[in-house]
Amino acid sequence: MAANIIETSGLTRSYGDICALKPLDLRVAEGEWLSVMGHSGSGKSTLLNIMGGLDRPSGGSLRVGEEDLLALTEDGLARFRRDYVGIIFQQHHLVPYLSAVENVMLAQYFHSVPDEAEARSALERVGLGHRLKNRPGELSGGEQQRVCIARAIINSPKLLLGDEPTGNLDHKSTLMIMELLRELRAEERFTVIMVTHNQEVATWGDRTIYLDDGVLVREERNEQGES
Amino acid sequence: MNRRRWLFHLVIRTLAHRRGRTALLLAVLAMASSLATALGVVSFSMEKRVAEEVRKYGANLVIIPETARLDVGSGGLNFGVISEPVYLEQRRVEDALAQSGLKAEKSFHLRGALRFRKGDIMVEGVDFGEIRRLFSWWQIKGAWPTAGEAVVGSDLAARYGLKAGDTMELAGPEQTVKLRVSGTIATGGEEDGLLFLALPELQRVLGLDGRLSTVRLLVTAEGENLRQKAATLQAHFPGAKVSEVRQIARTSEGLLAKVKLLMALVTAVVLISAGSSVTGTMSTTVLERSKEIGLMKALGGTRWEVLLIFSAEAALLGLLGGVAGYLLGSAIAQFITKTVFAASSEVIPWFVCVSVGVSLFLALLGSLGPMISVFKLDPVRSLRGE
Repeated sequence: MAANIIETSGLTRSYGDICALKPLDLRVAEGEWLSVMGHSGSGKSTLLNIMGGLDRPSGGSLRVGEEDLLALTEDGLARFRRDYVGIIFQQHHLVPYLSAVENVMLAQYFHSVPDEAEARSALERVGLGHRLKNRPGELSGGEQQRVCIARAIINSPKLLLGDEPTGNLDHKSTLMIMELLRELRAEERFTVIMVTHNQEVATWGDRTIYLDDGVLVREERNEQGES
Repeated sequence: MNRRRWLFHLVIRTLAHRRGRTALLLAVLAMASSLATALGVVSFSMEKRVAEEVRKYGANLVIIPETARLDVGSGGLNFGVISEPVYLEQRRVEDALAQSGLKAEKSFHLRGALRFRKGDIMVEGVDFGEIRRLFSWWQIKGAWPTAGEAVVGSDLAARYGLKAGDTMELAGPEQTVKLRVSGTIATGGEEDGLLFLALPELQRVLGLDGRLSTVRLLVTAEGENLRQKAATLQAHFPGAKVSEVRQIARTSEGLLAKVKLLMALVTAVVLISAGSSVTGTMSTTVLERSKEIGLMKALGGTRWEVLLIFSAEAALLGLLGGVAGYLLGSAIAQFITKTVFAASSEVIPWFVCVSVGVSLFLALLGSLGPMISVFKLDPVRSLRGE
């Protein structure tokens, strides 16, 4: 059985009087694909941001790999993000004035050294070898999301976080993205945590947890994901 | 591509993407630094120009004999001090000048009183060649005197009804001399009340061969340097007093200082306005780019690394604005000196450092507030567009 890459205990997050995440105990195994479901405001994005080192919990403990995230400084968290985490956003968040390959190189710049050959190769892996020099405005939603995936995997992260990565895509593009993520995961062996509204997308994971009002209310294994 | 090249590439891309804002910032920085350059160059040129103008007013050092002092009194009573006329030895003056190594234009003067008609008039013996070199503003109505001729000050001429061509008979303690008036002079100064004749002639009439009462020198130096030169000469001339002629220089320097202060104030106001404009534009830019900043932080950029990108943008703008400001400022300075001073200003290459310095300072200082926002920006909130 694989070791846990993420362990939380009594993890909470409050914004003033509002408790977005109530004490949560969660373990994610190395290489696992975990889907997080819940309606809007259920705390799933908050959980994802905390696990990705983008936000700080209000209480409890959180260990990702060897790192105790609560003990890290602001810049320590930034270093954790670049060394450990790749993030796929629903809104893609590509820099509009940079080409596809330059958007990937931007992640390399913050990690180590920009390498155009590696960035090209990453885009070729996601099927965008012919769109290297195109800017985000010249790409379709699905293509932009693939650039976002290439940017997320370029630094070989241990943890890939997806915040509704298919939320803005049509069904066909969604399937293409999910298939791509499955292939990449098989090759790279990273752990995936994906927040989604879509039950069908959630079943691509090995396990799905359901949050409601900041509380983990249900958890289930997915046959399709484990196949 | 190494990190530095990529950073430069990224900065260029960013500035090119926001062409309008980049052009606005460049224009603001170029205008501010061009004004600082222009006023600096004009001020610099004015200083030189004033020094040249002061030079036109003649001597800046004067040597006079140290007055012999005699206390007059008896017992506990003291009636004060009387002085007797003393003179400089012409040969000693020449020796002292040679020994001090001072390069200067000089004019020798001997002043005394001669009897004319039934009264005494003040006369001054000079070398008219030296006068023409040193006191270029002297305008003679008539002709410059030759041997046996004299020039009469306008007040004196009016008092005695003298004009060019008249003959004067002047009596001294030793001799009497007959001189023909070659012309009159009006300077508006004490010269207007004097009669000028050749120095050797007056020395002979007064029985003061080889004696002088004043030596005027024009030394090419200013301020502290002039004081040093006066001190050097003084050291070689113990029996005389070497002083600076400061009135004109002081007036000019005072005026120059006021003009410089005015220029500094104008520059300060412009720089403050430009700084505010830079702050406003950079704040808007940061606000517009908050998602981008959030993304950079989410991708693992530390606060300092993200700040470096924005600082590099400000620095590049400052550099370009400074170079443009130098070129523009030099042209403005040329225009001002041509129209106001009827002279051309100098091209001062090292002022490019001043211009770039001003522009960089403005760009970075103006960006300070927005940069603090960049530093503090929370990646989650900015990615959500909050």
